[in-house]
Amino acid sequence: MVNTSELDIRSTISNNRLKGLWNLMAGYRWQYLAANLALGGSALSKTFTYLLLRYFVDDVLTPGVYRLVPLVAAGFVALAVFEGSMTFASGALASRSAEGIARRLRNYLYDHIQHLPFSFHAGTSTGELIERCTSDVDAVRRFFADQAVNVGRVVLLFIINFTALYSLNGKLALTSIIVVPFVVASAIYFFKRINTAYEKYQEQEAVLSTTVQENLTGVRVVKAYARQDFEIGKFETVNETKYRKGRHLMMQHALFWPISDIFCGMQILAGTYMGARMVMANTLSLGSFLAYGGLIVWLIFPLRTLGRMIVQMSTGLVSYSRVAKIIQEDREDLEAGSSPQAGIQGDIQFENVSFQYEVGSPILGDVSFSCSAGQAIALLGSTGSGKTSLVNLLPRFYEVNSGTILLDGKPLPEYSKGFLRSQIGIVEQEPFLFSRTIRENITYGLNRSVSDEEVYQAARSAAIHDVILSFPHGYDTLVGEKGVTLSGGQKQRVTIARTLLKDPRILILDDSTSSVDLETEAVIRSALENLMRGRTTFIIAHRIQTIMTADLILVFDKGAIIQRGTHEQLVAQDGMYQKIYHLQTSIETELEKEVKRARI
Amino acid sequence: MPEYDEFAEEEYSSRLDSKTFRRILKLLAPHKSWVIGFLVTIAIVSILDGYFTFLNKKIIDEAIVPRQIDVLNRYVFRYGLLLFLQASGAFTFIYLVATLGERIRYDLRKAMFNHLQDLSLSYYSRTPVGWIMARVTSDSEKVSDMMTWGVLDSTWAVINILTSAVFMLIINWKLALIVLLAIPILLFIAYQFRKRIILQFRTVRKTNSRITASYNESITGVRVIKALGRERDNLAEFSQLTGTMFASSYKAAWLSALFLPMVQIVSSIALGAIIWYGGYQNELGWITIGGIQAFTAYVTFMMWPIQDLARVYAELQHSIASAERIFSLLDASPEIQDRPDALPVDTLLKEIEFDHVDFYYEQDKPVLSDFSLTVKPGEMIALVGPTGGGKSTIINLLCRFYEPKRGTIRFGGVDYTTLKMRAIQSRVGIVLQTPHLFSGSIRDNIRYGSLEATDRQVEDAARLTGAHEFIVHMEKGYDQQVGEGGNQLSVGQKQLVSLARAVLSNPEIFIMDEATSSVDTLTESLIQQGMEELMKGRTSFIIAHRLSTIRRADRIIMIDNGQIAEMGTHSDLLRAEGHYYRLYTQQFRHQAEGQSEILSGEEI
Ligand SMILES: Nc1ncnc2c1ncn2[C@@H]1O[C@H](COP(=O)(O)OP(=O)(O)O)[C@@H](O)[C@H]1O
Ligand SMILES: Nc1ncnc2c1ncn2[C@@H]1O[C@H](COP(=O)(O)OP(=O)(O)O)[C@@H](O)[C@H]1O
Ligand SMILES: [Mg+2]
Ligand SMILES: [Mg+2]
Repeated sequence: MVNTSELDIRSTISNNRLKGLWNLMAGYRWQYLAANLALGGSALSKTFTYLLLRYFVDDVLTPGVYRLVPLVAAGFVALAVFEGSMTFASGALASRSAEGIARRLRNYLYDHIQHLPFSFHAGTSTGELIERCTSDVDAVRRFFADQAVNVGRVVLLFIINFTALYSLNGKLALTSIIVVPFVVASAIYFFKRINTAYEKYQEQEAVLSTTVQENLTGVRVVKAYARQDFEIGKFETVNETKYRKGRHLMMQHALFWPISDIFCGMQILAGTYMGARMVMANTLSLGSFLAYGGLIVWLIFPLRTLGRMIVQMSTGLVSYSRVAKIIQEDREDLEAGSSPQAGIQGDIQFENVSFQYEVGSPILGDVSFSCSAGQAIALLGSTGSGKTSLVNLLPRFYEVNSGTILLDGKPLPEYSKGFLRSQIGIVEQEPFLFSRTIRENITYGLNRSVSDEEVYQAARSAAIHDVILSFPHGYDTLVGEKGVTLSGGQKQRVTIARTLLKDPRILILDDSTSSVDLETEAVIRSALENLMRGRTTFIIAHRIQTIMTADLILVFDKGAIIQRGTHEQLVAQDGMYQKIYHLQTSIETELEKEVKRARI
Repeated sequence: MPEYDEFAEEEYSSRLDSKTFRRILKLLAPHKSWVIGFLVTIAIVSILDGYFTFLNKKIIDEAIVPRQIDVLNRYVFRYGLLLFLQASGAFTFIYLVATLGERIRYDLRKAMFNHLQDLSLSYYSRTPVGWIMARVTSDSEKVSDMMTWGVLDSTWAVINILTSAVFMLIINWKLALIVLLAIPILLFIAYQFRKRIILQFRTVRKTNSRITASYNESITGVRVIKALGRERDNLAEFSQLTGTMFASSYKAAWLSALFLPMVQIVSSIALGAIIWYGGYQNELGWITIGGIQAFTAYVTFMMWPIQDLARVYAELQHSIASAERIFSLLDASPEIQDRPDALPVDTLLKEIEFDHVDFYYEQDKPVLSDFSLTVKPGEMIALVGPTGGGKSTIINLLCRFYEPKRGTIRFGGVDYTTLKMRAIQSRVGIVLQTPHLFSGSIRDNIRYGSLEATDRQVEDAARLTGAHEFIVHMEKGYDQQVGEGGNQLSVGQKQLVSLARAVLSNPEIFIMDEATSSVDTLTESLIQQGMEELMKGRTSFIIAHRLSTIRRADRIIMIDNGQIAEMGTHSDLLRAEGHYYRLYTQQFRHQAEGQSEILSGEEI
């Protein structure tokens, strides 16, 4: 089997779509050649069948040499066997190559998509991506399975049969191909029309996929608002549009086929008429005429097929460019940069960092702070003030727009992304689990093998071990897609365990206990206190208790640090922190009073 | 390689189910006139095909051999006219068949999509989105192709074979019989191949679903994959899937490729027999040279329809495999369904009663047991307790996303399973624990709560929930696009928008499931201030961990392990000095210890 990773598909992409498809065939070209030759062989044997027929009529039946009859019959069978095995060989070779190319393409796309940057994913709908990776790849596969082998076959059939015809009668042969330019011209005309129509059709298909995908992922919201009819209406419009575009596309086919059929039919008829006149004028033998009758069909037939192929090829070409468009997106380079053997310390310095997702809407403006290895930094601030955006800069999910981030005194871009990400553990604000077992989710992404005990230890620190054990299948419990079969807090704790097991130098906890009750949070916090020792830790949280022990607290508002310091310093300062603190403690003081009152 | 088989995927027997096939045919029923139209035109076209060969024979025997130019001219003229007739026939049937094909896809997708809207959440928690998508998109195409081009090709083929047979019988019945003898042999071969091919195609379709699911999961989870650097392992796993795909597709193609030559060889044996036997017949003068020519033409041309049949047959296997998957989706009956005599609902502002409710998602893992609770109309209930205790589950039951396994839930004394489900759900406004937005603008998303709402009402709802503030700061304000699933907003912002959406729907029962867990304290306190106003005249359920959110509730219910551990007002529970008391005083003591000096200094 061809190694799937050997071809860098990205470098083969070409704006000339045929050239691009040709490049995709790398490694399979010999197989295609063989498939085409085999088809040529089968075409050849077909031609010989007609020549044998001529021989049969002219040299066996007409002179009445009947003893040759069984031999001729055997000849027919032998030719058929040869033809059959050639057809088989080419079919098997072509499908093997087409499937192989498709597999390589699928794998490449899959890998490519995982390597595309966040900014790409944020702006691209999943349904559309999936559509390109499945339906369009399939159209490319069909191109290789059907059209690519047929080109050779058609050309060979045409040449062979034309030569045979020519050997029968030159004049007749030449008048039999008058139609060629007409067929080609109409094919090209329709090629363009079908190209456009199919492009629109595929675009609509992508819209349809996206609609379905969004509906399915949002099914809970749809149900919660009983919006089924609204969704059905929305889908109906999309579906209906696709129906209309599909009809328009097929209309082009419906026009092209009969037109080319008339051209071809007229050519056969004209040839037959000419031949008949020649036989009558005794310039052609009857046997030759019979052979001609067979051969002309085999001359025109490939021509007709060629027309259809040209037209159908537009499908493959359109899909190719749709796939190529994704492949041309720039990957994140995980390797470029250094990956120090010794690992990192964890000193971090932000120097005048500014960041924006889209030009014109700055998210972080001129952020500066520094912390030394092993410290805990807490980020507090209003919703949407840019806390998550800030921590996402550390593993280089996004790049800063200006300013620098230093890690151990070196600018972040000097480290390779792969290395950075292996050193940083991040518990995302929205926990994401994969549809596999809990154990696999906890060990997800580890490139070392871990003992069960290690997994349990991580789970214990995340206060989830006992819960998992209470499940009937324990660690082998399968969680639904995105973890839907777990409660919110359970999901969060599994992701905490996953991150702890990774044992990172820099730990980022992005609001990671928001769905966890206070008791459990206290358990996790005390477990984390041990683990955080010696690691640089970023904690984003809204509750003062969670962050007050941090070495440095940064208070964010609208993308800027408005206050910084330790808890003691900040509480004594007039400002947002104090306000939040009072708000939270006032509840507590009230509670205290209530407790006292309750006691009385 | 992880095993996903625990997501039970319907398995199919290796026998071809003729029921599936009949069911596919039924899809054509609503379009009978189209089907008849295209069958008739295809019949005309293919009879003409057969007639052309017959005409050739006549030209040889009646014009060329006896040298009759006027006969030749007549026949050629007739031939030409018929060519045009045939071409217009071809146009008609391609047009009909193509329209029909698109129509069937449309019908299938519509049927599936509509059915999906009725399926219960339990279906979604065990079926990956990618699997469903593969069914709605590629499987429906496979089936419709079969129903149209497949039916067309096979009709063409059958009629072609029949007309050829008739013309052959007319020319020489003895020779014709030899040829026809080959047909049962071909059928037998076809049967043998079918069994083997369908197995492969089933694997192909199944793998196709999994590949789609893999794409879906790695795209939606791409953040985690990047953060954990799992790209290489993922590719290795995916490569196994494509490997399976490769192996089965190749095997299926290989088998089909073998089938064609078998057909060719069998028909060439028939041809050999004709030459042999026909030669002697000619010797005896029973068959003309034109006749033999016609026979060889018929036999070689019969190979096309037979090959076509063979190909269609292989594709049929493929689309049956697809159809099975589509039907399995359509047959998945919603676990929760309205009864035929379901009653409408006038209002849900009635007493809500959980009466000895038992519930589990999976048989051997009880979540709620013997849960009883009565809520007065207009009451505000707070649910607190450790995660995984069953709080969200109670909400799921209340909204009838799931139904109790035992016991009853009643609205105003009426068992809610006798009510119309959508009527319940449209009167409940729920803010889910995991906020989900649809791609589109912020305005569109809030308006999802009430489709007729004016811009004004949308903004009022946003103000009430503290979302307005951040929205107007966005570059495009309410028209800002939120991205797929809302991923271009921060999590807290998503929560605020979904809160506004629920508020706009003006529900009778208002449910907030940790709705502000990622929202900062200041914004949250703003929401709190609006809350009393918000909850007026509604029954409400609040799940939260923050004390500030829950203490104003009329009743606080502590859920632990699927049961009510404690219940009462905030002060009742404090007085009881139970779990609740420990939970919240612990928190404050913890703080008090560390910060006592400051606290006393700041005494309010
Ligand atoms: N992928 C994205 N594309 C565009 N804007 C974004 C994206 N992610 C977040 N934002 C915007 O950036 C701002 C900061 O978001 P975030 O860092 O998530 O806030 P938070 O402080 O709540 O974590 C928000 O206004 C949000 O709308
Ligand atoms: N769809 C589901 N399928 C199977 N188990 C589930 C599902 N949803 C929740 N559970 C399980 O039910 C229990 C209660 O969950 P839930 O009601 O979400 O808890 P919480 O009190 O945190 O809201 C948990 O143990 C969880 O794993
Ligand atoms: Mg955030
Ligand atoms: Mg919950």
